[in-house]
Amino acid sequence: MEKKKGALTRRDFIRGTIGATFGTSLVGLNWSEMKSAEAGSSLVTIVRDEGAMDAANKVNADVLKKMLEQTLIKFTGEKSVKDAWLSLVKPSDKIGLVPTPHLNPTHDEVTDAVKSSLVDSGILEANITLAQGGPDKPKACTALIALPALKAHWLTGLGTVMKIYILYSGNARQYHEQNNAKLGETWNLPFVKGKTKLVLVDALHPLFDKGPQVDPRYKWAYKGLIAGTDPVAVDTVCLKIIMNKREATRGEPWPISPPPLCVEAADKEYGLGTSKLENIKIETFGWKEGLLL
Amino acid sequence: MRISPKTVSSSSIIIILFLAIFIGAISKMKTSSIRLPKTIDSWTRPDSPRRVTSQNIFDYMNGAGELYVGYRFDHLEVYEYTSSQEDDILVELYFMASSDDSFGLLSLDWGGEPVSLSDSALNVKKQSQSHLIRALYGDGLLRIWADNLYVRVMATRETPASKKAVLSLGKAITADQKNPQDPELLKALSPQMVSDWKMRRDRMSFFRSYLVLNSIYYLSPQNILELDHSTEAVTAPYEKARETGDIKRIQFLLVKYENPERARNALDHFHDAFLPEHKKDNKPDSAVKSPSVFEVEEGWLGYQLKGRYLAIVFDCPDQESAQNIIHQNASNLAKIED
Repeated sequence: MEKKKGALTRRDFIRGTIGATFGTSLVGLNWSEMKSAEAGSSLVTIVRDEGAMDAANKVNADVLKKMLEQTLIKFTGEKSVKDAWLSLVKPSDKIGLVPTPHLNPTHDEVTDAVKSSLVDSGILEANITLAQGGPDKPKACTALIALPALKAHWLTGLGTVMKIYILYSGNARQYHEQNNAKLGETWNLPFVKGKTKLVLVDALHPLFDKGPQVDPRYKWAYKGLIAGTDPVAVDTVCLKIIMNKREATRGEPWPISPPPLCVEAADKEYGLGTSKLENIKIETFGWKEGLLL
Repeated sequence: MRISPKTVSSSSIIIILFLAIFIGAISKMKTSSIRLPKTIDSWTRPDSPRRVTSQNIFDYMNGAGELYVGYRFDHLEVYEYTSSQEDDILVELYFMASSDDSFGLLSLDWGGEPVSLSDSALNVKKQSQSHLIRALYGDGLLRIWADNLYVRVMATRETPASKKAVLSLGKAITADQKNPQDPELLKALSPQMVSDWKMRRDRMSFFRSYLVLNSIYYLSPQNILELDHSTEAVTAPYEKARETGDIKRIQFLLVKYENPERARNALDHFHDAFLPEHKKDNKPDSAVKSPSVFEVEEGWLGYQLKGRYLAIVFDCPDQESAQNIIHQNASNLAKIED
C-alpha cells in the first residue's frame, strides 16, 4: 500500500528519512556522543560565569557586562568591544533588539547590557529600538540582534532561536501545530531576511522541560551567553545543552518531544545555517562546571 | 390595540420568568469564580481577576494556549498577589468542562511533592503514592486538580514565606471543591501484567489532543488518530527489567471514541499513515479475537479495536509481549461503564 502523502510519522524519524540528526532527539540515542567540529563552518561561542546570578537568581549586571564583552571579542576576533560591534553593524543602522517576550523571557538585564554596549561603542541611542512584536517592527530596522532565551517548548521541542521572529509573521498560531517546521519562513520574510547581525542567547536561567509555561522545577542556573551568526547552529547547540540537561536530570535518556523539526527544516528547507554538529565549531569560555557539552 | 389585564398578566409572567432565568445564570457565573482571600500574609490581590477565554488565551500565553484548548477549556481567571516585601505570587484558575479535563492537565507531570490541602491544620502532609494525588508542589509552584478546576499557584521566588502563602492559597481554592474520581478510562490500565511488565503510574497521562500526545510520545505531526474533544485517551509506559539488567520500556495507548464507526475510521487512518507497508486486517472488529501485531523499526507494534475503544502498544520486544499487553488491558474494558 502506498503511504498517504504528507503523513509523516515517528517511523520516518527513527529511520532517518527525515531528521537524521533530530531523530536522535526523539529516542535519546547517540546525541551526547555526537561531536562538534574542530574547525567547522559555523562558530558558536559560550561564555559562562558562576557569578552571573546570585543564590536568588538575581542577575549581576557587572558580571553580565563582562560576559557580553568577552562574547563579542571572542566571537568576532576583534581587539575591542567597539571594533566587535562595528564588525557586525554599521553606525548608521537602525538596530532592533529582539528579546523573547513572554514565559521565561529574556532577562531585561541582557537587553539593557546589549543596548549599553552598543551606545558605549558609538551607536546613537536613538538608532536602537526594541523590535519584538508585529511585522512593523523589523520593517523599521536595518539590523536585528536576536536575543532569545533558552527554553524547551512543548509544541516545537525548542523555543529559542527559530521561534524568536514568530510574531513577525503577523499570525503566530499558524506555526503552532505541524507547521512549526516552517518557522524558518519567518527568517526569510522580505523585511527580515539578511538583517540578523548577531544571535545572542540568554542562557542564564534556561528552562529544559514543559515550556513555554514556566515550571521552576525545570529551570536551572546555567549562567551563560551563547552567540553566533548562524541561527541554526546556535539553536543546534542550545538543543544539545537542553537534551544533555534532561538526561543528566533523569539519569537516562529523556527524549525531547516533539522533536524540534523547525531546527532541521531551517537548515534543509530554508538554508538558514547548519544543524549538523560536525559543521559547528563550539568555543567555550569561563565557568566549566555543568557545561553540558 | 387594547391591552387586556390578562395579556399584561401573561406578559409579566413571561418577563419575570425570563429575569429569573437570566439572574440565575448571572448568579451561576458569579459563583463559578473561586473566592480568594484579599490578602494573605504580606501579599494582596486586585479586586477582580484578569479573565482569559479561548479567544484571547494566545495573547496571554502564546503557544502554551494550545495545551489548554487541547482539553475542554472554558476560561481562565488570573490573579497576581503583590507584596512590598516579597516577589509576586501568580494564581491561575483554569475552569475546565469536566473533572477529567483538569485531571488530564495535572497528569501531564506527576513530578513534585504530593501534598494534601484538605487538613484543617495547614501542615502539609505527604501523600502515599497509592492514593490519588490531587496537588503537587515543587520549587514555588503548586499545581492542583480540584473537580473541574486546574490550578497553578506560583511564587516568582520560593521562600519559606512564599511557600506558606502558596499552600494557603491552594487550601482556600480547594475548600469548597468536590473530589471526583479519576477518569473511568484509567480502569483499563493494569498496574502490572502477568508477564512482569509494570506500569509507570508516574508517567500516566490523560488527554484529548494529538498535540498533547506528541508532547508525551511523539507519533506524527498530523492527527493520524483523529483525536479531538469528543475523544478520551490515556497513555502510560510499561517497564520490565531485562536479563542484561537494563530496563525495557514500551508505550501503551488507549483511546475511547464517540462511537465504533469513528474508532474504526481512526484505526484505518492510523494504519494507513503508520503502517503503510503492512496489510490491514479487514475483518469486523467483533470477529478479531487477538490483537494485530506488526514488526517496525522500534520493535513490535500491536493494536486492537474493541467497539469504540482502540488500544495500541508500541516498542514491544516481541510479538507475544505486544499481544499480551493489549489483551490484558483490553480485557479491563469491561470494568468501564459505557
